[in-house]
Parts: sequence; structure tokens; C-alpha cells
Amino acid sequence: MSATSAPRHIEAFAHAAGSVAAGVPGGATGWHGTLLNIHIAPAASYEMEELTEAHCVAGRGIEGDRYFLGTGTYSPKPDTREVTLIEQEVLDALARNDPPLQGGPIQLAPIDHRRNLTVRGVPLNHLVGRRFRVGEVILRGGRLNFPCKYLEELLGQPVYLPLYNRSGLNCGIERGGIIRPGDPITLLD
Amino acid sequence: MSTRIVMKLRVAESVATTPEVVRLTFVHPQRPELPAWEAGAHVDLRLPDGRTRQYSLCGDPADRSRYVLAIKREDAGRGGSLWTHANLTPGAVAHVSHPRNNFGLAPGARRHILIGGGIGVTPLAAMARSLAARGADYTLHLCARSAGQAPLLAELQALCGDRLRCWFSADGPRFDPAILGAPEDGVHLYACGPQRLTDAVQATLGRAGWPAERVHVEHFAPIDDADFKPEPFDALIASTGEVVHVPADTSLLEVLRRRGFAMPSSCEIGVCGSCECGYRDGTVIHRDVVLPLVRRQDRMMPCVSRARVNVTLEL
Ligand code: FES
Repeated sequence: MSATSAPRHIEAFAHAAGSVAAGVPGGATGWHGTLLNIHIAPAASYEMEELTEAHCVAGRGIEGDRYFLGTGTYSPKPDTREVTLIEQEVLDALARNDPPLQGGPIQLAPIDHRRNLTVRGVPLNHLVGRRFRVGEVILRGGRLNFPCKYLEELLGQPVYLPLYNRSGLNCGIERGGIIRPGDPITLLD
Repeated sequence: MSTRIVMKLRVAESVATTPEVVRLTFVHPQRPELPAWEAGAHVDLRLPDGRTRQYSLCGDPADRSRYVLAIKREDAGRGGSLWTHANLTPGAVAHVSHPRNNFGLAPGARRHILIGGGIGVTPLAAMARSLAARGADYTLHLCARSAGQAPLLAELQALCGDRLRCWFSADGPRFDPAILGAPEDGVHLYACGPQRLTDAVQATLGRAGWPAERVHVEHFAPIDDADFKPEPFDALIASTGEVVHVPADTSLLEVLRRRGFAMPSSCEIGVCGSCECGYRDGTVIHRDVVLPLVRRQDRMMPCVSRARVNVTLEL
């Protein structure tokens, strides 16, 4: 693993999705969310490790994470993935087999889903093209995350279809800083 | 195709089971339970330079709290075991993949014959534990130079009792696969060890009329074909229609990677099964030791296997 190969990220609002969405009004407002868990993986296919505190670096990612280091599975493809988020509500839905798309309930623990931040009370699907705050850090929603077959293979669980259209959000970091579980998440604009 | 998650496990215990074989116990520093596995499975151990080595799990599949590996020091090997012996001491962190099984127990079998040569006994030790736990009918043949050089001997004696048959060449007859005789219905045989042993088992049983599906073999050493002369060939990618040229001195896996295909791999010597892919319309020269005969007409391991002139890949 080499920390010198700086990852090629597309700035969130320069992404094909984020750039369009930023100019379109609407979306949920008035919500107040919370950061529940922070996970990073040191390299592609390494198990995620939980952090009690993480350093976010603008334009780059979470210190120690595969997409910060440029060692992720998708690192060779430039994209917006400085930080990835998923809703705890989606994990709860999978756990109650809702909707019943697969054999039964799926327990997808925060350590297993391979997104960096697990959040509660945050309508991620409404945040493409939006700026929002996680503690002292400011994130920009670049594009919706899309489930990949790779995750299904890694986990050996049929999560592809159940995560379809609720797989979270890929963000860029506008302003870096330290984040911790429990940090409030609020919309900026 | 498959990629497996890599975990950072802690070495909880290290015990010499013979002068050359160390028995290592791994636990997860945060999780009480490790991923489930079945007897016959192996894990990849990542070396600091990124290469991997495959080792069979030899503990009890019912015990989710730990993984046990037995690793032989191979002074003339590729370096992995020397690194392991020197560095994996209690407290050390090892990068270990989730398990994978290319060598499982046949579900419907009535009786199981396990044949282990030297360190090849490791997957069979796990099989013996599973079989003993469910009260199944089995025999374990353990072949080694002497009792002192037989890995896991004491625990296998305690586990198997008179179901264990030892063949120590220093002070008695060698194991002869001919004693297994003619095939009987519902009897499956599993052999793991040096290629010399597994070749002899397959040849002898083949002559005795054993169907290939009832003789299971695994070895973690690449195929021994020093005389093989690789030839260039072309591979057509079924999904895109592009043709990639594979020069004589480059593996198909390498060429596909350079073309941007995210091909999983691990051992890259044809022993682990990670890089498996489908093919059609072509003559493939199979050089791996992992793919069962029955699946070779449409599956291949591109890290070592090649084709004659051309082949179409299901990619
Ligand atoms: S990478 Fe192990 S068989 Fe090809």
C-alpha cells in the first residue's frame, strides 16, 4: 500500500450528478440528524475498522481510509468518494426484511456495509448537490451511492437488490476537521 | 470469481507441534466470533509484501472464537513460511482472509476416508473433528516420516482413537493406496499432501474403478510441469467483443488486468481458486490444481491456465 499515490477524486459539485442537482431547488429540510458510527478500511477488501474520532481532509478523504490513501477497489477510477454515508434506517429496514426482496432479514452491521459514516435522521437521497454539516466538517453531496456486486461477493450476502436506491451518498469534503460519533448533522443549503 | 475480506487477527498462541511445524491460534481483537467455515476450508495469509499463502484451517469448525493453522517451515520454499515462523508470535497481528472451501466433505457420503501426507493433514484434521462430532464413519490415514514429524499427532490420537492409522516410513511400511481396494457405494475419499502422494492415490484408485467425483484432492503447491512451454494466444471478451493478445511470457490474468478488468486473485499460482472465470469456444490448457475435472470444460484459472491459439472468455 502506498500513501503517495494521491487519489483522483472528482469534486462533488463537479460530478455529473452533483453539478445538475446543485441548481435544482427542493428536497427535505428541517431535519436534524446524528452521526452514529465512523468506519475506515486500510485497503481494498480489508475489514472495516471503527473509529471513535476521525480526521477529515478537504478534497481527499478520511485519514487512514482506502480512498484517502488511493488503495480502494475503485481508486483507479476518478469519482466522488472522499466520504461515503449510509442511513441507519436502511440497515434497520434490511433487518426487518422490508421490502421482502430476498430470502429473509439481512443483518448488515455498520462494520460490514463498507460505507464510512452511518447516520440517523438524515435523508441522504435528498442531499445530492447540497452542502451539509457533520460536526465541524462540511460535506457536499456529489452523487447517490450505488450498490455493487463486489459488496455482495465480499459479504456473501444478497445485499445488491435490497440496497438498490438506498445505498447512501458519496460526498466531497469542503471543510475538513475532526468528527466523532454523536456529532449533529444539519443542512446548510 | 470471488474476493474475500481480509481481517487483522491477533496471534493468541503459538505451539510447536513438530520441530518444523508451528500451530498458530488466531482471534479477532474486536469480534468474539469469526466468520463461519466448514471442514476443508482454507484462508489466505497476507505477507508484508502483499503476496498471499494459503493455509487450511485445522481447528474445530464448531468453535467460532478462533482459527487454528499449522504451518510448516519450508527452508527451500517461497519465503512465506519462514516469515511466518519468525514473525507470528503471540500478540503479533496477521492479515487473514475470510475462509474459502474448495475441499468440503461430500454431504451424502456414508463413510469418509481421509489421507494426509505430512502437513497435508491440516484440512483433514478439521474434517475428522466435524465427522467425530456428528458420529460419522471415517478413517484418517496419517503419513509421515516418523511420529516426531507427524503434525498434530497427539491431538489427532486423542480425537480419532482407533480411527487414526499412522504410516511412519522410518519404522514401518509406507501407505499404499492399493489397500483401499474397490470402490463401495457412498464412500468418499479425501487426500491432501505432497503431489507424489495425491498422484499415487488418484492413479491407484482410478485403476481400481473409483469414480473421480468420489476422490477429492487438494494441494497447496503449484502444478509441477517445469517442461511447459507457454505459447501466445488471443482471448475474445464475450461481453465487449474486444480481442486481447496474451504474449508467451505474460499470464492471461495479467493481460486482463492491464486492460482494466478488475480480476480478483490471491495465490496467482493456481492453487486457491480466486481468479476463476468462465470460457467457451477454445482449448484451454489447465495448469491449476484447484478446479475439479468436471468443471474444466467451461471454467478456468487465468493466473496460470492458458489457451491454444484462441479462447472466448465469459467476461
Ligand atoms: S489466483 Fe489463485 S488460482 Fe488464480
